[in-house]
Amino acid sequence: MSGTQSLMDVTLRPWPSLKKDELNADDLTRQIEQLTAERGSLREITEKSLQDDIIAGKDVPDGTTEEHDGTKETKEAPSKEQRLQDIARLQHEMSGHLEWAKFAANNAVDLLSLVLSADVNKRTVNSFSHTFRHEGLNQGVPFGSFGISRENHDQHVRKPDEAQSLAEYEQRQELVSKGSRMDALDSAVDDILNAAKNVERQVRRETTYWREVRSISDKGWPIQRYRSNVRNVPFAVRYGLPEASDHFKARGLAPLQMDKDGSIMLHPALKLKPKTLRVRISENGNITGTSRLPIEGETDDIAIEKTIQLARDSLFEEELYHEMSIESRQLVAYGVQFRESVIHVKAAEHSQKELLIDCIPRENSIGGSQDHSHDWLAQNVAEGLRLLLAHEHSMRLHRRSQLPPPLTIQKREAPPPALLRTLLAIFKHLEGVDSLYDYLETVARTLENASLRIQLETTREISWANLADSLKESSRNSTSATDQLLDVFMKPFDGKATLSLASSSGAYLEAFVISTRTVIGQPTFGTEHKLSLPSSLVTDLGLFRQLKFSSVEETTSYLDYVLSLHIAHRQLKSDFSSRATVKGNDPRITIKSKSSKKKPAADHDIVVELQNGELKVTASDADSEDLTDGAHHSHIWNAQSAGISLTEMIKSWIG
Amino acid sequence: MHELLLYGQVPAGRHDQVLKILAGVAAVQPRRKLQRCIIYRPQREPEEPGSAARRGGTQNIAVKQTKPAAAAAAATLYYTKLIQKLSEDDFGTEDGLQQTNSTALSADVKDGEGSMWSMRWEDIPDTGDRGVSIRFTNTTDLLSGDPHAHMIAAGPNRFVTEYYVEGHRFVHGNVIAYLHRVLHEPGVRSLEEAPKTSLPSFSSLQLLDLSGAYMLEAKVRVQDFKEAAVLESGVNELKEFQKQMKGCVELGLPDRLSLDTRVKYKPQHAAAAQGRPR
Repeated sequence: MSGTQSLMDVTLRPWPSLKKDELNADDLTRQIEQLTAERGSLREITEKSLQDDIIAGKDVPDGTTEEHDGTKETKEAPSKEQRLQDIARLQHEMSGHLEWAKFAANNAVDLLSLVLSADVNKRTVNSFSHTFRHEGLNQGVPFGSFGISRENHDQHVRKPDEAQSLAEYEQRQELVSKGSRMDALDSAVDDILNAAKNVERQVRRETTYWREVRSISDKGWPIQRYRSNVRNVPFAVRYGLPEASDHFKARGLAPLQMDKDGSIMLHPALKLKPKTLRVRISENGNITGTSRLPIEGETDDIAIEKTIQLARDSLFEEELYHEMSIESRQLVAYGVQFRESVIHVKAAEHSQKELLIDCIPRENSIGGSQDHSHDWLAQNVAEGLRLLLAHEHSMRLHRRSQLPPPLTIQKREAPPPALLRTLLAIFKHLEGVDSLYDYLETVARTLENASLRIQLETTREISWANLADSLKESSRNSTSATDQLLDVFMKPFDGKATLSLASSSGAYLEAFVISTRTVIGQPTFGTEHKLSLPSSLVTDLGLFRQLKFSSVEETTSYLDYVLSLHIAHRQLKSDFSSRATVKGNDPRITIKSKSSKKKPAADHDIVVELQNGELKVTASDADSEDLTDGAHHSHIWNAQSAGISLTEMIKSWIG
Repeated sequence: MHELLLYGQVPAGRHDQVLKILAGVAAVQPRRKLQRCIIYRPQREPEEPGSAARRGGTQNIAVKQTKPAAAAAAATLYYTKLIQKLSEDDFGTEDGLQQTNSTALSADVKDGEGSMWSMRWEDIPDTGDRGVSIRFTNTTDLLSGDPHAHMIAAGPNRFVTEYYVEGHRFVHGNVIAYLHRVLHEPGVRSLEEAPKTSLPSFSSLQLLDLSGAYMLEAKVRVQDFKEAAVLESGVNELKEFQKQMKGCVELGLPDRLSLDTRVKYKPQHAAAAQGRPR
């Protein structure tokens, strides 16, 4: 065998290292590494130290020395024959192994080739071993004559206990699967039931919600879509008045939120405590009248509608209060004060009556005073203010729908509604007119009692008196009758009193006209009385035709003067035409008494004095110096009792 | 006074819907407006354009023309309009009974009432591009007298034609939206010499646009045209309205020259050849 031959002269020598003249970088690093491992730092490897090492016997590392020793031992161990025998034996052994390995490898190759040869594509003669080619294929062993297949062990008959355990296992499996199926079905049924319940709840919820929404909508509240949070709050109700001022308009919208069982949940805007306007009358610090709560809607409304209604009312009252509190700042001069969230309005100049207006939560008991004598007034004032704001709202719409004026650099600003101003104007006007007319009536009656014929006609407010006519006339106007009615209150108030005097012929020709005009603002800033005198009187007495007074006292005192002048200078003069002479501007007339035999004609001074509704006439002897003389008569007429006529009286005095 | 304008068209079928939408947008009820417009034309013929410049040579030393613009403006002639506010009752009845037998128009009004007649002059819209049409207008209310006689004497003018406008008006802030259409009396109007003193019945009027389409006019009036801020705010408000109406009515700029109110110059022979009544 060639292998055995070659092994005969084998010598073991170190693996020849590659001879290289030049070490490349890798080799060099490797050598340096090796050197560092063997001898430590490269710096210490010098020729001298190596020489020393050789001398000291440390020329090679320890391991190598031992190897060398081993080889030496095998080489130079026992005797030569023994060694040869050993080698021969080993050779034989090794060749045996090699043979066997070769055989096994050939067999394996052949087997694999034969198996693979079943596939036509992999059928090559070369893949078989030499031996098999000669002794197998050439002898007629066909390709693909050896097959491999996976074995199926099903037919394997199990042992009884194994079978039993298997059966048990299967049974268990079946039970478990059945159980889990039941479980799944159970939970599915639960789920479906839950879903059904959920759907039912949802449906009920939606039904409730929609029913409430519909009932709200049927009552006329405008419902609108709500953009944010569409899922829970699809709709919102607009309860604010459409013409409210901006701030209150924005507050007039509340989302209709669904709660758990579908009924509408209250929005914070609705939940706020509804407020109401309260008007109280205070007299000398005591509350003598309080306005009632506004009437609530029908009680069978569902809660939400009631709440909406309350919220609407509250919003309205708050706006009313807000507008008035702003207005009150301009009216300080008229005695309107805003203290501690209460508006104090002085109702009349001479009385201690005061109106207290505030806005309080509805729940608070509105009453609190025992005295209810002025409840009617408080209530009327409150209702009047509400009407005025409602009117203002409709006027806003009216103004808005008018043609706008062209744009200019001046910004148009809507005038603040006149609420307190109207209230004040009514109070002031009525106060002025009433006290004036009271006086006029007294005067008229006094003069009647003195048999001076006089006729009095008074109209507290002209437009109120002509209301029906003016409403009928302007039926074609675009504004509604209610607005026209309330519009009357926005205009200046005009009262008119006519005091007609009988002329000598008995016809009422000459008339004193006192017109009273009240405006809170320009041009009169309150009440103004304008007195127009009849022209004949003006020419006769040399007075001004028209005079304006700002208070009742001035008017009455002037009227007193003019009336007494009229009586003295005209009435008496016409009665005693030839005998009377007028001197000066005083209401005084000098009448000559009829000359008789007994007495010579004497001059009598008649002084006419009209004051506080009483007519006082004093006659005195003009010639006598002494005032305490007996020729001194005086008489007073008043409104209560009819007396002797003036002319008769004077005639009786002077004869 | 200047007017900022936008126009849009509404087919007859959509009129009710648009009316409702406008009422919602403006939050007011529509207000029905009827009016009669009578158009007058100056009796003088306009001069040939540029004729002033070509009017012969002169030996004078050329001096600067003192007021060329004013002269040019004076030379331009405009049509003018007389507008009468009407109500349903003013129209005649079906059976030909006329309500009034007066022979002359009268603009007399009682105290405290608004005028029924007004005279209106409109300029050709500005050339500026602000996204809205801007034109100068002048409206004079007539409170007494015979408006027709006044107009004849004022030009001197002559009567051209009359037509009726019916529609609804809304006011939205400063925007005046007028949804209207034009009606006219059928027949040969050119034969008429003067406006009718008694109106025909409303049902006898015919639509000018037979499709029955309505026009939506959005208008903002501006007094201080010179104030940029005021004009700007007016334009913005109108544009805001335009945006709001998007998808409902497309409001847009009309062609400037279609709103021309000037009297056109026509060469004599051409006018004679065409013989087209105006």
